[in-house]
Amino acid sequence: MSDPSAREDVIGQSVIRRDLLEKVTGAAEYTVDITMPGALHAKIVRSDRAHARILDIDAREALTLPGVVSVITSDDLRGLYPRFGHIIADHCILAIDKVRYYGEPVALVLAETVHEAADAAELVRVTYEDLAAVLDADQALAPGAPLVHEQRYASSDDDSFRLLTGGKGKVATEAAAELSNVAHQVTLEWGDADAALREADIVVESEVHFPMLYAYAMEPYNAVASYSADGLTVISTAQHPYMVRDDLARIFDLPLSRVRVRAPYLGGGYGSKSYTKVEPLAAVGSWVARRPVKLVLDVEESIYTTRADPADVKITSGFTKDGRILVRVIDMVMDSGAYADNSPLVLAKALNRSFGPYRVPTLRATGRSLYTNTAPASSYRGFGAPQGALAGETNLDQAADRLGITSADIRRLNLVDRDEEILPGKRGLDADIKADLEMVLASLNRDAKDVAGYGVGFACTASDAGAYPVSTAQVRVQTDGSVTVLSGSTEMGQGSRSALAQIASHELGIDMSRVQVVQSDTAITPYERTTGASRTTTLVGLALQRACEDARKRVREMAAEIMACDGDEVTDVPGGVSTPGQAFLSYGDVIKAWFGAAAGEVTGVGLVRREGVTEKMPPFWEIGMVGVAVQVDSDTGVVTVDQLVTVADVGFAINPQAVEAQDLGAATQGLGMALYEELVYDGAQLANANVVDYRVPRATDVPAKLDLMIAQRRDGVGPYGAKGAGEGTLNPVGAAVAAAVARATGKWPDRLPLTPERVWTLISDSGSAKE
Amino acid sequence: MTLPDFALARPDTLEEALALLGDDQVPYCGGTELLLAMKVGLQRPETLVDVKRVPELRGVRSSHGELVIGGASTHDDLSRDALVREVLPLLAEVEAHVGNARVRVQGSIGGNLCFAEPKSDVATTLIALDASVTLQSSSGRRTLLVRDFIVGPYYADKEPGELLIDVRIPLVATRRGAYVKFQVTERPTVGVAVVQDTETGACRVVVGAVGEIPVWRDWASVADIDVEELSSAVDPVEDLTGSERYKRHLTAVFVRRALRDLERSS
Repeated sequence: MSDPSAREDVIGQSVIRRDLLEKVTGAAEYTVDITMPGALHAKIVRSDRAHARILDIDAREALTLPGVVSVITSDDLRGLYPRFGHIIADHCILAIDKVRYYGEPVALVLAETVHEAADAAELVRVTYEDLAAVLDADQALAPGAPLVHEQRYASSDDDSFRLLTGGKGKVATEAAAELSNVAHQVTLEWGDADAALREADIVVESEVHFPMLYAYAMEPYNAVASYSADGLTVISTAQHPYMVRDDLARIFDLPLSRVRVRAPYLGGGYGSKSYTKVEPLAAVGSWVARRPVKLVLDVEESIYTTRADPADVKITSGFTKDGRILVRVIDMVMDSGAYADNSPLVLAKALNRSFGPYRVPTLRATGRSLYTNTAPASSYRGFGAPQGALAGETNLDQAADRLGITSADIRRLNLVDRDEEILPGKRGLDADIKADLEMVLASLNRDAKDVAGYGVGFACTASDAGAYPVSTAQVRVQTDGSVTVLSGSTEMGQGSRSALAQIASHELGIDMSRVQVVQSDTAITPYERTTGASRTTTLVGLALQRACEDARKRVREMAAEIMACDGDEVTDVPGGVSTPGQAFLSYGDVIKAWFGAAAGEVTGVGLVRREGVTEKMPPFWEIGMVGVAVQVDSDTGVVTVDQLVTVADVGFAINPQAVEAQDLGAATQGLGMALYEELVYDGAQLANANVVDYRVPRATDVPAKLDLMIAQRRDGVGPYGAKGAGEGTLNPVGAAVAAAVARATGKWPDRLPLTPERVWTLISDSGSAKE
Repeated sequence: MTLPDFALARPDTLEEALALLGDDQVPYCGGTELLLAMKVGLQRPETLVDVKRVPELRGVRSSHGELVIGGASTHDDLSRDALVREVLPLLAEVEAHVGNARVRVQGSIGGNLCFAEPKSDVATTLIALDASVTLQSSSGRRTLLVRDFIVGPYYADKEPGELLIDVRIPLVATRRGAYVKFQVTERPTVGVAVVQDTETGACRVVVGAVGEIPVWRDWASVADIDVEELSSAVDPVEDLTGSERYKRHLTAVFVRRALRDLERSS
């Protein structure tokens, strides 16, 4: 029944989101809505300095306040594994011996009410001895710089992290040999770059700075935890509940089966809620107090919990005189903050995505992820691709200018063809990216204007997406023929609940209204490695297809048994089976007859691993293809995006409206980093750790003209030829806007965001927009 | 970011309200500034005296050549008020674009002035309109011009026992005006109000938001306006929305834009 023509009415059609009504009416359940009987409320006492030794924590006064139950410090965690971190286990649950950034949790106050906890937190006196701090990448790399970490930690021995990085060329991905502030470094290399640069007809060098960002989600970090003799239960706003489970099991040395992590709806994730964040704090609170503990951060605390990596990128490209790329040399430095979190992988991915979906015969890309005394950085939608694309794409545009060819032609000349490898030894490109480019160009040309201050830019990216292909799904077919789909993938606004229902509906030939999707509860739903890298439709979709196939097979076997016929005489029909003796038996008929009562159910299991269609890494390439037209006000420097053109190269759009919405959301988020968003440190503290001064896009910022196109060539490994969406369209936006501003002003900006003052300075001063 | 404990008083008359006010008993109307200040610990009053039921603070009327606006009138009320729209369309327009929708339906004109928020569109406009405020305490009543009332950033000339009763704007039939602002984040970077008496040609330009308090100048005619002088007279506060140099530049740009809009107004 995998022939998509069989039920085109379900897949490939825009369906109303399953979570729509409850979300718009406020009825949807989020973690913050969940209470546990007898729960205490937690408030974090945070470091008020960047780098300091903790001399004393005096909680006596705090403990005298009414309602205060406990003040927990790292001393209280004896017997536990006091750190977490899925790649490098460097992250203290509560600061041990010293604090490494302003905002780091030092103590946890537990009280009967939120107010009591907040009041008591202000009375916890921490005595520090200040240490010299490194507050940015330059300081971290300076000779003799103070060390953020004076020791090494256990690194993950999970081979999948290696497989998610580079290609078959020479790949080195490791922590630096000597103790330094380099948390992680990656080299990706093929060919002799120095020789190739010597042979090049022209060499184009450029340098960009990508800003420090916050992946603003309306729902801040929060969790509620209950530790008992029976094990640990944590409900949290987590994209990857299974990854969080693994960290928690290590902390408490519990069997995985006795750690339950559940994620209800997420109020936005964008990568910021991938991996472990506040769950260990709530959990150790409950472990100490033996009562459930609820912890809810505000936006400022959330910003100090996780931000995105800013990057300084130098890129040198050599070309033949007719515009072919001979070589690209890239050096990237990321400021990853006080703890590694997912930054090592972000760095590796940023390098993979820095040289573009082009034929690059020779490459040398090096990157370093640095520890600094600032808030820890981790994943953010696009995962290093926006950083890499800003450097690589604007460098290519500048090369086109030097070569006297158009930005379109230099891409036509160098973009890889279908099936051609971007990373040696990895999956060839499963897309027609050249055709995607022509779609964007045609749309931009159709609306081209010839007025002063007007500029058009576009950029292309291809991301090695889908993360690591480990995915499982189950379908439980009930006696009435209705179906429960179980998946460990999290619904975080991207619409997976609808897409999975559509797939199950199609595969089993039942109406979508009879499919219920239950997600993200490690005690109930089957294993899912992560919800990120645009993987759900492709990988969970495949697992679900296989689970449906498995369920149908079981029903066929049962039908053969009850109808006393051969197994191969039973065939699938929508909603049931057909046998020689009976033209139609519904799933429910078969199940009831087989169990011999009006009872029972059939469970189908689907597994995805690195084999068959998903053997080659990455599982798929996610295309980012974006064009913008901007109007620059030369008096103020304000950039107005007049037109936005996107292509969702998704292979097959299971829910087209959701694909468009993902692209519009991703592009709008991209406009945020292109034009408005930047976290600014003023000494040890952020100057704008709030959403008043940290300006995120608003509804009124959405461009007047939108052209959200979908390219459907059925060339993905997912169900019906589908590939993922959601990240791709964000990735090139910064580069496209920078190019458009360059075309409008005649000068190349070298950093984002392009705030009015930066653009005004670019226009009115000679030279670049450097500050 | 949790609100500390406080008592709430809800007087029905002006006398009751005035009797309740004191150092730790503060007027509370929309709460858009006060509650935020309390949440971040800048203020911890014992009692919030809710003045929304006091009749003298409500409504808009025309009286003796003045428009009298009750201090508890919200920005949203004023943007929609038929009388304001008829006799002072400039103010109605400014009020329609203050802050965001939530601030407009909650925040009051009186609270806005009493907090002397440097980024206030309203204060800049009212200074251009030569408005005054009426303050009353148990011991008496006084009137002062808005431009004198706003003494510094977050500092208005108001005693703890005083309540801002109303805002009074002289009604001049031959007046026209314009207000333009440059805003990227939640608050304006620069706001410029210009008001002219078309009979005499005299005009006043007020530049707000860019510095700690609005700067104003009177000229005999539009032709006399010295944009460069004004942009060097302001004292910009450097912040994430701009350097001093950029803000002086923006001041000049927006004074010119305000004058352009003035010419277009009837």
